[in-house]
Amino acid sequence: MEFGWTDRERAFRARVRDFLHRELPADFDRIARHGPGSREQTEFSLDFCPKLAEAGLLVPHWPAEWGGHDGTVWEHFILGEEMWAAGEPRGAQYMNVNWIGPTIMRYGSEEQRQRYIPPMAAGKAIWCQGFSEPNAGSDLAALRTRAERDGDHYVINGSKIWTSYAGLADTCFLLARTSGKPGDRSGIAILLVPMDTPGIDVRPIPSLIGHGDIHEVFFTDVRVPVTARLGEEGAAWSIITYSLANERVGIPRYELSARALDGMVRELKARGEFGGDHVRQRAGRAAAACEAARMLVYRAVDTRARGQKLGTEANIARIAVIKADAAVSDFGLDFLPDTYSGEDHPLNLAHHERAIVAGIAAGAAEIQLEIVARRHLELPRGA
Amino acid sequence: MRFEANEDQTTFLSVLDQMMASDAALWRHSPDWRRYDLAPELDGMLEENGFYEAIAEETLGAIAAVALIDRAARLPVTLEVAASSMLHAAHAPDLPRPVAVIDGPLDRATRFLPVAKSVIHIADGGVRAALLPEGAVTPTESIFAYPMGVLSGAALDWQALPVSPEAARDQWRIAIAAEITGALQGALDAVRAHVVDRRQFGRPLGSFQSMQHRLAEDVAAIEGGYWLVMRAAEDFDPVAVAAALGYVQDAATAIVYDFHQFMGAMGITLEHPLHRWSYRLRLLKSALGGASGNLGLLAERRWGAA
Ligand SMILES: Cc1cc2nc3c(=O)[nH]c(=O)nc-3n(C[C@H](O)[C@H](O)[C@H](O)COP(=O)(O)OP(=O)(O)OC[C@H]3O[C@@H](n4cnc5c(N)ncnc54)[C@H](O)[C@@H]3O)c2cc1C
Repeated sequence: MEFGWTDRERAFRARVRDFLHRELPADFDRIARHGPGSREQTEFSLDFCPKLAEAGLLVPHWPAEWGGHDGTVWEHFILGEEMWAAGEPRGAQYMNVNWIGPTIMRYGSEEQRQRYIPPMAAGKAIWCQGFSEPNAGSDLAALRTRAERDGDHYVINGSKIWTSYAGLADTCFLLARTSGKPGDRSGIAILLVPMDTPGIDVRPIPSLIGHGDIHEVFFTDVRVPVTARLGEEGAAWSIITYSLANERVGIPRYELSARALDGMVRELKARGEFGGDHVRQRAGRAAAACEAARMLVYRAVDTRARGQKLGTEANIARIAVIKADAAVSDFGLDFLPDTYSGEDHPLNLAHHERAIVAGIAAGAAEIQLEIVARRHLELPRGA
Repeated sequence: MRFEANEDQTTFLSVLDQMMASDAALWRHSPDWRRYDLAPELDGMLEENGFYEAIAEETLGAIAAVALIDRAARLPVTLEVAASSMLHAAHAPDLPRPVAVIDGPLDRATRFLPVAKSVIHIADGGVRAALLPEGAVTPTESIFAYPMGVLSGAALDWQALPVSPEAARDQWRIAIAAEITGALQGALDAVRAHVVDRRQFGRPLGSFQSMQHRLAEDVAAIEGGYWLVMRAAEDFDPVAVAAALGYVQDAATAIVYDFHQFMGAMGITLEHPLHRWSYRLRLLKSALGGASGNLGLLAERRWGAA
């Protein structure tokens, strides 16, 4: 066992940090205050990501054919860690880089690849992910949005909800039912739908997590050519299972949490309020939670880096990551409550708003527990 | 970053696993319902085969020592492994074992004293060791699943050990933390087996979601703790050490509560070995300042003084 970094990994991290140091404005925490889906951060990303691409740091892990450098699993991961810790200056584009691009490379038609991948690799594409519906959240297979075949077109009717980035996205990675009843996994197809197609109506949902992050998206007789379909009809479930397998470990949230926690302690020290045992132990507890989450995430990444099949390592890591986010957010709320009013502490606010969704977005904490109970502990199902 | 053991460590662990699966590792409830078995046969096998000396072997190192402590603590039997494979092997290999470690006042009930042949004392002024002659220890009755005893006050021939109290304490922290993760894992395995087997309301207890989710949370805490311990054993980085012990001591309280709940009355009996783990954990979680002390220490090491 070895828990250090190779020279190459260290050099790569240094490159990413140098770039961030050069390119992020001093007040980036303010821009990032409202989250990756906000107008501010999306607009920033459209300026930032092309520069990142030029520096070879947008898609370094992609194959050279598509603008990458065939970078390693760890390089891809280090990039994500540094970006998230910095407040995610790539905005919504982290999704393209992590899984939408690679999914299109693997399953897309030549036309789809040529159309969609170059703009992603250039840092100029905003996508949204149209999975969840009012009646299909954790139980995603219950989705009802229909895509009916009409000659060489599909006609889409239905609605999506909680869709991040939809207000500013160019394209939607949409799951729709081409056959079967809600619950039937084999009747779902993936459609790549330009968001300016007539019949799409996007409404932002006022929420606790900043401006314009989540939306409802209504589809009324939306016509897309059959060529917008990714993979076969009915193949969606296996495709997204494959593509999201690499995403299961989720966002390296502990890295922003640790940074936010360090900032909170700095603030408490400046106020002369970091002397009591109670506050110090609580800070230590939050820090230990971040480090435990980090180790479990690294273990999952290491499994992948060694080319082994990921079991429940990622789900176990997610549970720890969610707890670490909560521990840091609660520490801030308990000891620095005033920093959650006004504009002076954007990082605490941004961290809090990211932390409160950690256990819900991308698969609820309880779903992770469910998977660990079933597949890791092999506990039996109910009667 | 490599979570896989190296070749020598892998061999070490696979031989160890075989020993741990042997009859010598089985627990028996003794006729007088004692709360622990010492498994002298297994202890002898480990000693003879050099397992306790791993820390001194370059390709095994502290990682293997810590893995040994963790694996041994998974067993329902009680082995004096932590002191032997950490402080003893690193600083006083010539002293006879088993070894007891005292890291505070000399007059407190301490685990392993009644069976120990030598004692290591970590005090602020220095680390020292002594042989324990006949009559040096008074055994005490205890709720803990260790032989507990107190130094009887007889004069001991203390010899200074060539290690600073800070370094010795940090090694001891990691040894204790590994013993905690091992005991938690051993208890988890036993509780899991029970709740898969036992049926109530016409179904296995382990099929109830309230139980499944708490056990799954416990898994995350135990595995998180395990990797913090392994990480800290790599170089005894002071921040990593405090994080590892603080984290596992903090987690142990709630997990021990869950395990005893899920075992029902069976877990209150001496017929089921749950107590063999839980009453080691209930002592270990107070060691070296306990969760509060070690999380406070983590704060000290990460952020400095107020
Ligand atoms: C900030 C944010 C951004 C999001 N972005 C997107 C996006 O871009 N695209 C998209 O498609 N979706 C998105 N989502 C939706 C997200 O995927 C869902 O919220 C998530 O899958 C949970 O579904 P739900 O909210 O409907 O909760 P429900 O499924 O209604 O579940 C509610 C709660 O019930 C519990 N629960 C559910 N099932 C079980 C079970 N089997 N056992 C025990 N407990 C259970 C869990 O505690 C869960 O949190 C986003 C959500 C958030 C919060």
